[in-house]
Amino acid sequence: MWILRLNMTDRSYKLEAVPERYKNLGGRGLTSTLIYDEVDPMCHPLGPNNKLVFAPGIITGTSSPTSARLSVGGKSPLTGGIKEANAGTGWAPSVAKMHLKAIVVEGQPEETGKYWMVAISWEGDKPKVEFMPADEYVGRNLYEAFPEVYSRFGDRVHVAGIGAAGEFKYPNSGIVFNDMKDRPSRYAGRGGLGAVMGSKGLKFIVVDSAGAPGVEILNPELFKEGSKKMREALMEHAITKPKGGLNSYGTAILVNILNEAGGLPTRNFSAGRFAGAAKIAGEAIFETNKQRMGKEIYNHACSPGCIIQCSNTLYAPDGSEIASCIEYESDWAFGADCGIDDLDKIGEMVTLCNAYGLDTIEAGVTMGVAMDSGVIPFGDADGAIRLLHEMGKGTPLGRILGGGAAMVAKTYGNPRSPTVKGQAMPAYEPRAVKGIGVTYATTTMGADHTAGYTIAPEILSVGGKSDPLASETAKADLSRAFQSTTALIDSSGHCLFIAFAILDIPTGFQGMVDEINAIFGTSMTGDEAVAMGAEILKRERAFNEAAGFTRHDDRLPEFMKYEKLPPHNVTNDLPDSVFDAVFGNL
Amino acid sequence: MDQVTIDVWLYGPLAHYGGNEGNIFAQINVTLPKGSVLRDVLAQLHLPTEERGITFINGNLSAMPGLQPDLDHQLNDGDRVAFFHLKSMWPFQYRHDVASIPEFKASLESREDKGLQSRYDSQK
Repeated sequence: MWILRLNMTDRSYKLEAVPERYKNLGGRGLTSTLIYDEVDPMCHPLGPNNKLVFAPGIITGTSSPTSARLSVGGKSPLTGGIKEANAGTGWAPSVAKMHLKAIVVEGQPEETGKYWMVAISWEGDKPKVEFMPADEYVGRNLYEAFPEVYSRFGDRVHVAGIGAAGEFKYPNSGIVFNDMKDRPSRYAGRGGLGAVMGSKGLKFIVVDSAGAPGVEILNPELFKEGSKKMREALMEHAITKPKGGLNSYGTAILVNILNEAGGLPTRNFSAGRFAGAAKIAGEAIFETNKQRMGKEIYNHACSPGCIIQCSNTLYAPDGSEIASCIEYESDWAFGADCGIDDLDKIGEMVTLCNAYGLDTIEAGVTMGVAMDSGVIPFGDADGAIRLLHEMGKGTPLGRILGGGAAMVAKTYGNPRSPTVKGQAMPAYEPRAVKGIGVTYATTTMGADHTAGYTIAPEILSVGGKSDPLASETAKADLSRAFQSTTALIDSSGHCLFIAFAILDIPTGFQGMVDEINAIFGTSMTGDEAVAMGAEILKRERAFNEAAGFTRHDDRLPEFMKYEKLPPHNVTNDLPDSVFDAVFGNL
Repeated sequence: MDQVTIDVWLYGPLAHYGGNEGNIFAQINVTLPKGSVLRDVLAQLHLPTEERGITFINGNLSAMPGLQPDLDHQLNDGDRVAFFHLKSMWPFQYRHDVASIPEFKASLESREDKGLQSRYDSQK
């Protein structure tokens, strides 16, 4: 196993044997540890001293189901703290099969405005790495550039890259990966890591794992057993099974639910219920496709080997694709949060984000703030589309919008800035869903809905026996346990959505632990595995502290304390001590 | 007033119980005698309770797949009731600490797992 270092100052590379410290890490555990070890927390995120780390999960590249996840890490230009952004893509297993535990992009070219690409393939007994100019792809729509890369390198390659947003070095810029149909649609979206890649003059990393040996498994019998347990749990559970909830309606199945709960942030977090919700929900996407295509269309996998297959495609009446895929958060961000109830327009906006290299959550929330600040009216879908084009073209207004929701709130003097640590909140109103508010406020990542998943009811024991869901310390204990568990899953290479099934079917959790033990030849217990997640959080937290974050950054935005959210008319009434207790006790 | 009118929302495949064959959603008003409870709404709609999953009364969670402590919940005039189909989902971490009716809260508290499940009909 190697760590591949790409030096963008002189376009050289180094294949390094994996140091002992990194041997039993993968995914987020590895990206965050490498950043913690090697990046000065006070460095400028876009300067030569930041690093960009790509790491497939521990299990990624094996036959285990729903395991083609990749972590990308660096210091975030959006939050100024550590960042792990995660994507599901065939790129991840390809890298893992070439025995590359991580790819670390370092340095910075002296020339500005010039871009290179790196092609990695397998030759003989090791990866072959080539640098080549990439200027011909710069400034281009990714839906045009990707097919050209594929026709140049062949159908079996996988591509990582940036769009115009990364080239303009926007704090809102993601890193794009191909999906199963080679669309530029799978994003490690959050936190502006596209800008870090852009700052290094790196446009694409093209990988071809043909002939590579594949992932080494030290205990194949245990692995078989573990992945069988995982597969059975996913195949059986109503949420994750074929033609189950996610496969039928996608993640946008949550739109109507959160709307009824009064927790669907609407018109820049000024209400919890949106009158047009049912028109843009997962049920509407499914039925719209059925009407337009004349048959029921179930969702597809974002990456090889996934059982859950939650990615939808929205089709136009003529059968062409409007967007693939419309996730719940994207649907909500351009929908309810902007007061827009036109599904086709929402789809168009998602596709524009993919084309320009933008994170849909940050872009949608930014649009909501812009509307709330009077730039365009709420509900103005065509206006929002025009603004997205301005972002893609790099006009002065487009650059301000590319700065993200907090930047736009500041520029237009709007105190309603729905952000934590500078990152826009996703689609769960923390005044209504109080549990997730604790995680939004305290995660090392800035407001992040993927920071607190849970996989085992035993986690309740962390809060003691009395009233485990209600007491204030228990809220903090639970959030910490959820965040540790999530760091573990993000390291495993499994998609976070396995959590839905294995929370109810405990053999699934044991399956995941078996798989990890099988790869490393270890004998960790479930508790020890979760403790590994807690260690990762400690490193991330230490990095953020050294970068200048204090407990005062672990807060929800102030307006949520004094603005009541209808229909429940609730505020954030949690005392600061709850937020402080999350990491105070780590 | 001897009657109450309930604002009923039916989502996805349940929409046909509200007279809408589109499978997206239906909204209808159901009028019942004063003192009626949730099971009376279901009866009037001819909606078998085992076909519904996540349920809300005025934005308060009242049922999940496998957990229906709301059948005898008394309804007031103007209450909004929403029924979801069984494919609908709301994982624990996205509903942790949300508003719920007292019967639902009590039902979670009486469980050993304190309700920490994705749903309540799938545990082995």
